[in-house]
Amino acid sequence: MEIRKHYFFIDNKRWVFSSLFLALILLSPIIILIISFFSGSKTTLFYLLDNVLIDYTLNTIYLILITSIFALILGVFPAWIISNYYFFGRKFFDIVLYLPLAIPSYIMGFTYIDILSYTGPIQSYLRDTSPYLAEIFNKDYLQIEVLGVLLGLALYPYVYTASRISFSLIGSNYVNISKNLGLSSFQTFYKVIIPLSRPAIFSGLFLVIMEVLNEYGAVKYFGVNTYTTGIFRSWFSFGDVNGAIQLACILLIIVLFFFVLDKLSIKNSKFYYQKNSEVQRMKLINWKKSLFMSSICSVPFLFGFLVPFFFILNNSIQTLSSTNFDKLIQLTGNTVYVSSISSVIIIFVALFFLFVERISKTKINFFTNNLISLGYALPGAIIGLGIILLFSKFSLVGSLFILIFAYIIRFLAVAKSPIKSSLDKHPNTIDDTGRNLGLNPLSLLRRLHLPINRFALISAFIVTFIDIMKELPITLILRPFNFDTLATQTYEFAVEEMIPLSATYSLVIITLGSLMLLILKNFIDKQINVS
Amino acid sequence: MTNRLMYLEVKNLAKYFDSDYPIIKDLSFSIKKGEIISFLGESGSGKTTFLKCIAGLEKINSGSISLNSVCLNDKETFINPQDRKIGFVFQDYPLFPHLNLKDNITFNLSKKHSSNLDYILKLTSLKYLLNRYPHELSGGEQQRACIARALIREPELLLLDEPFSNLDTTIKESMREEIYKIIKETKTTTVLVTHDINDAMNISDRILIFKAGILQQYDDPVKMYCEPANCYCAEILGDLNKLFVNQETYYVRPEKVKLVNKKSNYKVFVEKCFFQGKEYKIKGRKDNEVWHFFSKEPLKEKADVYVDFGKKDLIYFDPVCKNFFK
Repeated sequence: MEIRKHYFFIDNKRWVFSSLFLALILLSPIIILIISFFSGSKTTLFYLLDNVLIDYTLNTIYLILITSIFALILGVFPAWIISNYYFFGRKFFDIVLYLPLAIPSYIMGFTYIDILSYTGPIQSYLRDTSPYLAEIFNKDYLQIEVLGVLLGLALYPYVYTASRISFSLIGSNYVNISKNLGLSSFQTFYKVIIPLSRPAIFSGLFLVIMEVLNEYGAVKYFGVNTYTTGIFRSWFSFGDVNGAIQLACILLIIVLFFFVLDKLSIKNSKFYYQKNSEVQRMKLINWKKSLFMSSICSVPFLFGFLVPFFFILNNSIQTLSSTNFDKLIQLTGNTVYVSSISSVIIIFVALFFLFVERISKTKINFFTNNLISLGYALPGAIIGLGIILLFSKFSLVGSLFILIFAYIIRFLAVAKSPIKSSLDKHPNTIDDTGRNLGLNPLSLLRRLHLPINRFALISAFIVTFIDIMKELPITLILRPFNFDTLATQTYEFAVEEMIPLSATYSLVIITLGSLMLLILKNFIDKQINVS
Repeated sequence: MTNRLMYLEVKNLAKYFDSDYPIIKDLSFSIKKGEIISFLGESGSGKTTFLKCIAGLEKINSGSISLNSVCLNDKETFINPQDRKIGFVFQDYPLFPHLNLKDNITFNLSKKHSSNLDYILKLTSLKYLLNRYPHELSGGEQQRACIARALIREPELLLLDEPFSNLDTTIKESMREEIYKIIKETKTTTVLVTHDINDAMNISDRILIFKAGILQQYDDPVKMYCEPANCYCAEILGDLNKLFVNQETYYVRPEKVKLVNKKSNYKVFVEKCFFQGKEYKIKGRKDNEVWHFFSKEPLKEKADVYVDFGKKDLIYFDPVCKNFFK
């Protein structure tokens, strides 16, 4: 058959090339970092290999392992219980189990160390009531194991959210078939439900792992040497940019490994099951079981949110007289300002990339869309370093523009996720109909996709806003001179051992985050239509 | 040179996503103005892709498409879908979920066509549903809304992609009649894509049968039914009874088989007798081949009967035909 070359051209060429150009800009800090790695001296690399690399690697793996185990336990079981059973407080737990996402992991770390410290409430109480027990509790809690548990408490909502949505979408047909084939409830759970939900659970766990790799504040505070703290130490303490670049590139390889593993896992276990084939009916249970299930769900909420929240609230009240409210208002303003502007830009950039992928249907757009999502897996320290290398010659470092640019790279994938889910729900015939009715690509975006996907855009704004508000390493590295946010101020007080003074700033982050999470939960409920 | 008598002309059209597996290999046909043609083929045979090529939603790999003597797509030309004046009604009735019925129908409508609203609403009986949103409409109402949205712009060509496939049997027949009435009243040239032979037979001026990426037959329904071009066309349009005469294989349609009281050359063993309201459909066996025919009276099962038919009703195909379409 004759193939005539003239018939071949890319659909919506201008859109495709614009998206490729923008992707190149967003990837440029990483490209610069890799170029610097190959062009720089390798002496530091051998020094790192001989002295710190094994320590960094083992610590990072150990921390990931402990955090993952706790995040899985705290995320999967409550999600399964809430998706399947009526019990006392079910609706309440369904709302509040997301809330630990509002507490940045470094605040979780500072707060628990303060609670468990010699002068903290637990040891003080035990010394008054039971000196023997007080002796047992008098320990150094700045240990990697404690950090792992605390990070598990702070990060389990990623696993919980993914599992909760997956469990509610599976429907009851598979459960009924499995029971009909003789499997008990527990066997059904681990032989049918868990395998079906594996991609979702793994996606949640992937986010947890990436957050651990990105973690700086808590890890530094606990004195655990990981790659991220190593990059900061090489760079700021020893002034060794070359060493920082080499550590960043090794971390980049580790991140890429997990990224590919996540994609492969999803590819290999993506099941095209009939969603909501029949909505799972809640099971009624007796009061003993009900109490047991309430207890299971209350553990992550109690230790992941309630205890730190009330402790911070108490500290805030105690330090009320010494709180500088003018500064608090100014930092809240800074935080809301930079988070809002960045989030709005990020959701439009995310929508642009996804829209171009949708209308162009080219493999290159699919590939670049995946590549720019890598930003979320990159620790802030790597992005910060790459951007400084890129912009140091243009004297742009230290401007708000650069900070927002870094946020775009880091959080684009966060905004893309809800927008992509929403776009995928609408068949391609919606676009075809729009074009058939005379819309060009821009009006297709403006008149169809913006209104149709408005809930997803709002959801994307909320999740991005919360993440930027909590962000620490990038903000620490790239913020303009004299520009502080609630996160940087909290961190600075904490490293100066003035944790009570940081409480008010933490409280504002947590309150703002919790309010936005509650709004988000409302949107998620509307979208997944759970009971 | 385009033929001035023909309204839509498709010449040597080829379309593939993977050059090893072309969806449309070489398709040429034309439609007169005001005609309704049915494009009949199996699921997954490339019918929707063909419609998308005509609408400009897919680009062709070779050949040409012209409408009303204007070239839409060939080696050098590609007219954007928004400039083609072609109405498209998709299979899954994609009404925009954020707009009510009225806003859906008048979406991106020019002032010139706005005055058609009352006429189209009356024609499609949607006048009292204007403020409803898509999720508040039944399948039939959604489908009529999509047709109204396409027709209000007075398209030069209307493309219907399996418009009845999502409807249940009872509503399907009435919808088919309604759509036929609307199309004929608006004198809109239409291409209907379907895999359902009844849809094609009931609504079309001509039927195009498409298989293995090429056109098999393009004719009016009666001629196509009585004189199929090959065994595939014959089988797709209805039951066939197979018989052997002088070591050759022939076929005869069940409608042409008549029950006779006296002995004839063709004896059939009755296996089952199905009541179908007006008459009985008989399933029988002759020379180990399954036969179908009709009877006004019920026949006794597990008994022999005699049938006959005219010699002109016999259909003959080349013996390799069956193998070709396997």
